[in-house]
Formats: sequence, C-alpha cells, structure tokens
Amino acid sequence: MNFWLLITGMAVAVFISRYLFLEPRLPLKLNDKALRILSYSAPAVLAAVIGPLVFTTEGQLNTDPANPYLLGAVLAVILMKFTGNTLLTAIISMVVFMLIR
Amino acid sequence: MRSIKKELIRGTIDMIPLIVAVIPWGVLVGAYGVESGLGAFKTQMLSLTVFAGTSQLVAIGMIQAGAGFISILVTTLLITSRHVLYSLALRDKIKVLPLHWRTALGFLLTDELFVNTQREDQPFNRWYALGAGLSFYIAWNLSTLIGIIAGSAIPDLTQIGLDFAVVATFIAILVPMVKSSSILTCVIVSTAVSVFCATQNMQSGLLLAIAAGMLAGYTTYTARRLK
Repeated sequence: MNFWLLITGMAVAVFISRYLFLEPRLPLKLNDKALRILSYSAPAVLAAVIGPLVFTTEGQLNTDPANPYLLGAVLAVILMKFTGNTLLTAIISMVVFMLIR
Repeated sequence: MRSIKKELIRGTIDMIPLIVAVIPWGVLVGAYGVESGLGAFKTQMLSLTVFAGTSQLVAIGMIQAGAGFISILVTTLLITSRHVLYSLALRDKIKVLPLHWRTALGFLLTDELFVNTQREDQPFNRWYALGAGLSFYIAWNLSTLIGIIAGSAIPDLTQIGLDFAVVATFIAILVPMVKSSSILTCVIVSTAVSVFCATQNMQSGLLLAIAAGMLAGYTTYTARRLK
C-alpha cells in the first residue's frame, strides 16, 4: 500500500468533515430547533470521548471499583466540583492516576 | 494591530488546559508510530497533515495490522464524521469570513477548538479562534515529536496510561457545563452509547453517541417545557 496516497486521503477526509458546513454556498439555514439541538454537541462530544476510556478495558466493559481510569475519573469530578479550577483538577487527577495504576 | 495580538494571545491562554491534556496524547501517538514500525518521518507527517489524534492512532494500528487502503480510509471517515457537527454549529459565525479564513479555521477545527469556542463567553473573534487553534496545532506536533524521540529511547511508553490525560481534562471542562437536567441527560446518554459501541468495536460509535446524547438533551428540554 502506498503510504503517501493514504495520508493524502486521510487528510482530505478529515478536512472535508471539518470544513463542510463552513462553506457559505452550501444552501442551508439553521432554525431555532437545530441550533438548540446543536447546543448539546460540546457536552455530548466530551462524554463520548471519555466514556470508553473510563468504562472499558481492551474492548470489555470494566466497572471494577479498582479500575484506575474509573477511580481517576471519579476523583476528577469531585475535584472539579469543589475547586472549580480546570488546570488544578487535571494535574492532580493525572498525578494520582499515575500513582495508583 | 494591537487588538489582533491581544486576541491571538487570549485564544492561546484559554487553550492552555486543553494543550496540557493533549501533550500526553501526542506523545502516545508519536511513540506508537515508532513502536509500530511506521518510522519517525511518516508519524510526524500524520500529525502535520491529518491533525486528528484518534484517526491517527487507529490508522497506525491498522497499517501495522496490514489493513487495506479502503478499509483504513472508511474507518477514518467514520471516526472523523463527528467534525461535521462542529462545522454545522459554527456555520453562522464562520461562513461569512473570506475563503482563506474558512480554510484555516476549518483545518484547525478539532474537538478541543470546538469545545473552547463553546465555553468561551465573548462574541466570536477570528483572531481569538486562530490563536487557540494554531497554538493547539503547534502543541500537537511538538508532543508528537517528543513521543517519537522518547518512544525510541524508552520501551513500553505506550503502556503507561498516557490517555488518562484526556479523561482528566475533559472531565474538568465537562463538569461546569452541566448546568441543567437536559445537559445531564445528554451526558449520561452519550456516555452509555459510547461505552456500548466500544464494547461492540463499532468505529462509528463516537458519532452515534454524540447524536444520541444531543437528541436526549433536546428531548428532555422540550419535555420539561411542556410541563
């Protein structure tokens, strides 16, 4: 397989998906309902990215309380609730994760 | 001129928590590329041109496993399709800009840049978005480079749980976003669907989970208003 052809194809695929609706010639008008639905996209994205990292191990469901990803995630939620500091929460929970894993 | 510089810097500073999170992730991609036998140059080129962490990781794995051109490209399309939602959400703000701006911001439109524009409370500013997107692009490529170098020197660098950085930071950004029961419903549904799809090894799981979460949030919102 030609790697350079592949990387070009991948770059084009990713770019098109990111650019698609930024194109003004695409005839589309967003109504209030669509905008309301889209307002949920950021929390949905964040949850969908971390869900499998936290709750699965090598493709298997893992809700074992000793799962370090699960423990670290719970700690991060608690820290964020109490401190309200993004950077502090991220760093402390990363350090704790490295220590318990 | 002065306000351009100010906006570029403000965008960069607001992006710092997300940059901190992406460093271990970039290191992981760099180290994995070297470990899989793809080589330093090609691994770095992926970060420079494709600029999409999950797609890169999966592609490297598939190349190593000997997968074909078409199957890698289709997988990339499935993983990357969620970005269409971001371009839709930012459409009204960016479609009015000239082509070079649309192209630049489109290329830089990662999960992280999108999330940053959503949690920022000031009106959309192109220079602010460029500062945030560009600093993130540079951080992604430098961390890939660090991973390439460190991965050649330290064996098993890909096994030490670098991906937890994404979990920690995304949670820190997500928690303050949950301000209503409809957003909470969206988060729970999105998580549940993404976990289910991961156990079924579905490459389109990310998009399905996001769509399900958004619809669940909207349904909760309308149901509460009807009461």
